[in-house]
Amino acid sequence: MSWSDTVFECLKANALQTVVHVPDTVLTDLIRLTEADDFFDVLSPTREEEGIGIICGAYLGGRYGVMLMQNSGLGNAANALASLAAPYQIPFLMLISQRGELGEFNTAQVGMGQAVRPVLDSLGIPHFTLERDDEIARVLNGASKLALSTDRPVAVILSPLLTGGKKG
Amino acid sequence: MMNRQEAARALVGALTDQLVVTGLGNASFDVYAAGDRALNFYTRGAMGTATSVAFGLARARPNNRIVCVEGEGSLLMNLGTLATIGRYAPRNLTCVIWDNQSYQITGGQPTHTESAVDLAAVARGCGIASACLIESLDELKATIPQVLDAPGPHVVVAKVDRTGVQGYQPRKTALIKYRFMGRLGTLPDVAALAWE
Repeated sequence: MSWSDTVFECLKANALQTVVHVPDTVLTDLIRLTEADDFFDVLSPTREEEGIGIICGAYLGGRYGVMLMQNSGLGNAANALASLAAPYQIPFLMLISQRGELGEFNTAQVGMGQAVRPVLDSLGIPHFTLERDDEIARVLNGASKLALSTDRPVAVILSPLLTGGKKG
Repeated sequence: MMNRQEAARALVGALTDQLVVTGLGNASFDVYAAGDRALNFYTRGAMGTATSVAFGLARARPNNRIVCVEGEGSLLMNLGTLATIGRYAPRNLTCVIWDNQSYQITGGQPTHTESAVDLAAVARGCGIASACLIESLDELKATIPQVLDAPGPHVVVAKVDRTGVQGYQPRKTALIKYRFMGRLGTLPDVAALAWE
């Protein structure tokens, strides 16, 4: 089983029915798995900020969900997290693929690579970095429990140590 | 253009059990003043995201009609949402845009619709066939029943003036969430959250 398969099973086990993604290369397999399974409602907005709005709206309608994005996308979502998700106490998971650190070939990715954790900290969003296959279930289950217990978004950052990163 | 409060009253007066999402600022204030409802979700921030919230809600509640009310400045911040609505074509989503061609609440600075920008044309360009630009209250009153009943998605851009209201919608954002979800019946079962 690949890490994508394990994450896919965890999303299902935690009833993360709404899957909103602005894709990153390393998320390709996971996205394909969710699209192939009728359990999930998979949506692709034009921008991560839109995606946060969609996830919040779906939750109001009774569907819990997960936002998939690259860490560069967090920069596009900050205000929606700060002034919609947080004050309205909307729980969801964010799976954020990490660019701009180990193995990065593109200088332009480094800025948000460095910024993603401080930005999440500033927004008061708990985050946990996933580096190993054998941690996936414990981290995702724990992140989801935290989100639902505290009515807030929780981020799980997917390290290139887990995903292999993007080659270039 | 039409009086915005008369327009808001015409819309709110026609509502039955639709779920309403309002954009921040005057869009929320107007809808609240025209008749507060538990099924109104008033946003107070994240300008631009009201339509996205409405879209997500529409996906989660296919048997409900969702109505989004926001100003043109808000929609202009998130034009991509029209592309998303065009792509997924939610039949149960109706978007009403109060277009007063200005950022009224911040001092009346003009928005792009004061020039040649036609948001209804943008919506049609995104594949939303039912998109119209309305100038008069009579036209709006005739359009409202159609866009509340017929399968959508619908985008109604109404040219309105800057007639505002005194008073604000409920300020407590968490209460807005709980009231809305409580009435809709989508609040998670508290007992189910009692982890062992």
